[in-house]
Amino acid sequence: MAEKKRIIVGGWFDLPRLGTDVFGALVRKAGVAYDKSTGFKFDSGTDIQAAVGTLRSAGVEVELVLRCYVCGKESCPGCPYLSSCDRTRVSTFCLCGDHAPEKSVFGTYTKTFDLNLKG
Amino acid sequence: MWSEKYRPKAMDKLIGNEDARLVLTLWLSKWEPGAKAALLMGPPGTGKTTFVNLLAKAAGMNLVDLNASDVRTKEMLRRRMGEAMSTVSLFGERSLIFLDEVDGLAGRADYGAVEFIKESVKESQNPIVMAANDPDSDEIKKLSSSCLAIRFRPPPPREVEMYLREVARGEGLAVGEEELRRYVREAAGDVRQAINLLQGSQQPSQGGDGDSSGRYKDKDRSVSEAFNGFFGATGKDEAMASLRALSMSPFEKVREIHRSIVKSGLPATEMAKALETVSSADLLIGRMMKSGEWRMLRYLDRLFVEELFQVVKGRAVRYSGQDDLPFPILARIWNDSKKITELSRRYAAKARTSGRSARSQDLPYVFALCSRKRFREDLEHALALDADPDLLESYDKFLQKEAAR
Repeated sequence: MAEKKRIIVGGWFDLPRLGTDVFGALVRKAGVAYDKSTGFKFDSGTDIQAAVGTLRSAGVEVELVLRCYVCGKESCPGCPYLSSCDRTRVSTFCLCGDHAPEKSVFGTYTKTFDLNLKG
Repeated sequence: MWSEKYRPKAMDKLIGNEDARLVLTLWLSKWEPGAKAALLMGPPGTGKTTFVNLLAKAAGMNLVDLNASDVRTKEMLRRRMGEAMSTVSLFGERSLIFLDEVDGLAGRADYGAVEFIKESVKESQNPIVMAANDPDSDEIKKLSSSCLAIRFRPPPPREVEMYLREVARGEGLAVGEEELRRYVREAAGDVRQAINLLQGSQQPSQGGDGDSSGRYKDKDRSVSEAFNGFFGATGKDEAMASLRALSMSPFEKVREIHRSIVKSGLPATEMAKALETVSSADLLIGRMMKSGEWRMLRYLDRLFVEELFQVVKGRAVRYSGQDDLPFPILARIWNDSKKITELSRRYAAKARTSGRSARSQDLPYVFALCSRKRFREDLEHALALDADPDLLESYDKFLQKEAAR
């Protein structure tokens, strides 16, 4: 069985050459961000379900990983909701195992949003 | 209702869609005449409308809120949007124009409203944000190509858990981790539903029974609580709050109320009045489905409160749960279903009868005859159900219900 392509949502990734049809379906139809030097990215404008479907039909099985909004660490490993969370449907950030159990995590979370907003 | 009490009051207090919120905020801060409009796409309940309201508040902008269902044609749209698009205050302050549910607008293909938006966005003196629930329609796809397209999605479970813990903390509750996770899983990304489940779990203990094992923990109980809250409410506000707490489709809401009314044993006059309201609600949904005027959805709960609640108030009507109704009534309910309509259409074509006759007269007997294997197989073949797994599955469910009855 082919190895799954691990894609961190919000992070740049590369793909093998899949042809112009697949490229068009990913970038123009599914809204995958593309930069010649850095590659592809799933972001807030991407129809992730459609993009994953396109990749699958092109023979690329995908494993999506979300990042922690507070620290940027991968949040899926060890997540208690891993089996029930459809990562093609949910929004693009989550919380990691270190931050999710913290009592004050909501305060930290909102502060992070404010900080990002201020750039 | 805790879901109202803990509704976000500032744009940084929402959860999920962090990058979408950031992108929209930056777009607004840098917007100048001639820039693209923003198009928010995502299922209902993901915070599109809430965020736009909070964003306008945070930016100190006047929000001009239009619903696409109110502006059916290019001319109406020009009248309603035209002034808002070209007006800037004496001090140069801009308004944020919010056109909600544009997929309703796109449904009316020939009126030129979508083309009008695409053209007028370029000349607008004020930023325009649009929202659509269904990004897959062709018109919305066309619109999104000329806009800044931003997708809103349900928050991931861990963020819902975080918010639920915040609500529990605000209410001074000590709720176990596993219990919280159960609500998060049951709510499936719906924050309001998760909060309702948490609130529902606390109600019996407030009544003093103190038995946490018997608390209202599952969705069905929460639905029954909400319906019984409506039927047993002491005033209109309480009745409205109970209906709004329900997380189910309008069609399901009407069906469950219908079921409860029919089984309530109300005197004939009251029963007739109550069913009249249910009928109006059903018509309202039908018109919404046909016209795409989803804005009318807001009148559904109001209709129940203003009309039905006045009839059932103090009458000991209770939520009937999932108990089956007699077949003739079920058949009428099923008639509303697209699947039944499609089955009827296929049957009518074969039996050379009208769709209406097929639905109201033939199908109940046909379903009953399906207890005979040979008849059933022949019918499936005649109606070409074997080539349509989705319809075949619905048909099987109807037959199972009939057999169980």
